[in-house]
Amino acid sequence: MKLLTFMSFIILTVTILTMVFGIIAYFLYKARERKKFARKASYEEILTTANKQTLFFKEKSFD
Amino acid sequence: MRLFILIPTFIVLIFLTSLSIYGLSELYVNGALFVKVGVSIVLFFSFLIIGRYMLLMIFSILQTIKKSADEERSKIIPKKVSVIVPCYNEEAVIEKSLKSLIAQTHPFVEIIVVDDGSTDRTLSIAKSMEYSYKYKSLKVYTKKNEGKAKALNYGIKKAKGELILCVDADSRLDEKAIELLVQHFQDPSIGAVAGSVYISNQDNMWTKLQALEYIEGLNMVRNGQALLKSVNIIPGPIGMFRKSALLDVGGYADDTFAEDCDLTLRLIAKGYKVDFEIDAVSYTEAPENLLDLLKQRYRWTRGILQSIKKHRRYILDIFNKPRLSLVLQYMLFEAIIWPFMDFWVNLFIVYLALIGGGSILIVYWWILFTVLDVAGAIYCLLITKERLSLAFYALYYRIFFISIINIAKILATIEEWFDIEMSWGKLERKGKI
Repeated sequence: MKLLTFMSFIILTVTILTMVFGIIAYFLYKARERKKFARKASYEEILTTANKQTLFFKEKSFD
Repeated sequence: MRLFILIPTFIVLIFLTSLSIYGLSELYVNGALFVKVGVSIVLFFSFLIIGRYMLLMIFSILQTIKKSADEERSKIIPKKVSVIVPCYNEEAVIEKSLKSLIAQTHPFVEIIVVDDGSTDRTLSIAKSMEYSYKYKSLKVYTKKNEGKAKALNYGIKKAKGELILCVDADSRLDEKAIELLVQHFQDPSIGAVAGSVYISNQDNMWTKLQALEYIEGLNMVRNGQALLKSVNIIPGPIGMFRKSALLDVGGYADDTFAEDCDLTLRLIAKGYKVDFEIDAVSYTEAPENLLDLLKQRYRWTRGILQSIKKHRRYILDIFNKPRLSLVLQYMLFEAIIWPFMDFWVNLFIVYLALIGGGSILIVYWWILFTVLDVAGAIYCLLITKERLSLAFYALYYRIFFISIINIAKILATIEEWFDIEMSWGKLERKGKI
């Protein structure tokens, strides 16, 4: 019976810690994503999101 | 060997279930109303989980036996297959992926790489591998970045094959994969066939747990669903479609974050059957840390919920669309009911253990599901010839790994319910395929 009591203590502890850990991990992930999208973009990244259209300058035609 | 695992598992499960039911019934009789309701829910949930698990395992065994009786699996079927490889910033993995496609044993393969506006060396690497020889070729197209669904549809339009294989750029296919998938299309009612997905980078605890999850939770489930020809999701890393079926349902849609799930549901809605080929293997990279894993599962959960939402009018339409209705109900159970129930039951058992003195119950609860998980893991590992050492991870698979995933699913479900904005969020490739 002592073994069962010991096992129930371990499993109970793991269950509680896992639930707390899971919730914290999720919010850490959300914080990381918010930080990623909030940081300043480089010129190359802006160019990519603008579909490689030249910014601020007239596009040169080679026709 | 299967009976050697199943029969003792059944006996142990019945014994442990009886012990748990006895323990719970004592609590039910002596407890307050809250405890009575909680115990009823725990019992109901336990039977549901065990029933689902055993049913899928039995279906999977039956499907494997049925397949082994099929004598015509080694024939080469002369159907042209077009392989579509959509890619965006995959320079770390694209070469290995394309080499695995070039090495396919099926003789009639055209590979179409669709570069979706990559900003790294993906396009130049793929271009350097272009070739055309007899009935095999590799051609690379580039387009502006519009997302995976549009890239796939672009490739489908260019495809000349009767069958279309859609793969991810970070997947490495086993050389016989296409040859084995093609066999299923001799049945004209088959619209699509899924292959098995395995994890290639089994380097740390997280990737090993995912490897176990893919083998036991995804591949075995699909093998079981294949008995009814109702596989609910054709996975991104390996899925073959009849081109006419794809065009019939309008190709991939880009209004969900799980375009593979959405497409599969539309195929089932149109009456096509969806099968599974266990020996057509694709190896893919799994997220190597917890935050990347949560990112992936967040997208999967919200994408699946978006797909279910699109087809919600069929959930109870069991008389007109029985196959689709059952698939949607099963997906609702897996995506919403199970995670919420699992979390609630964990909370309730902790409450009982701390307040009610029913701490022994938590041991029976753990043993009950661990026996199930370990037996399922050993069976699946033997069938798939993967390392048996992965079965060790089954000891804390449910109590640790699945609990964390379920919490992420619950919070993702809440965000989807409140329509909170989300983005694709690409995972960084390590090149370990």
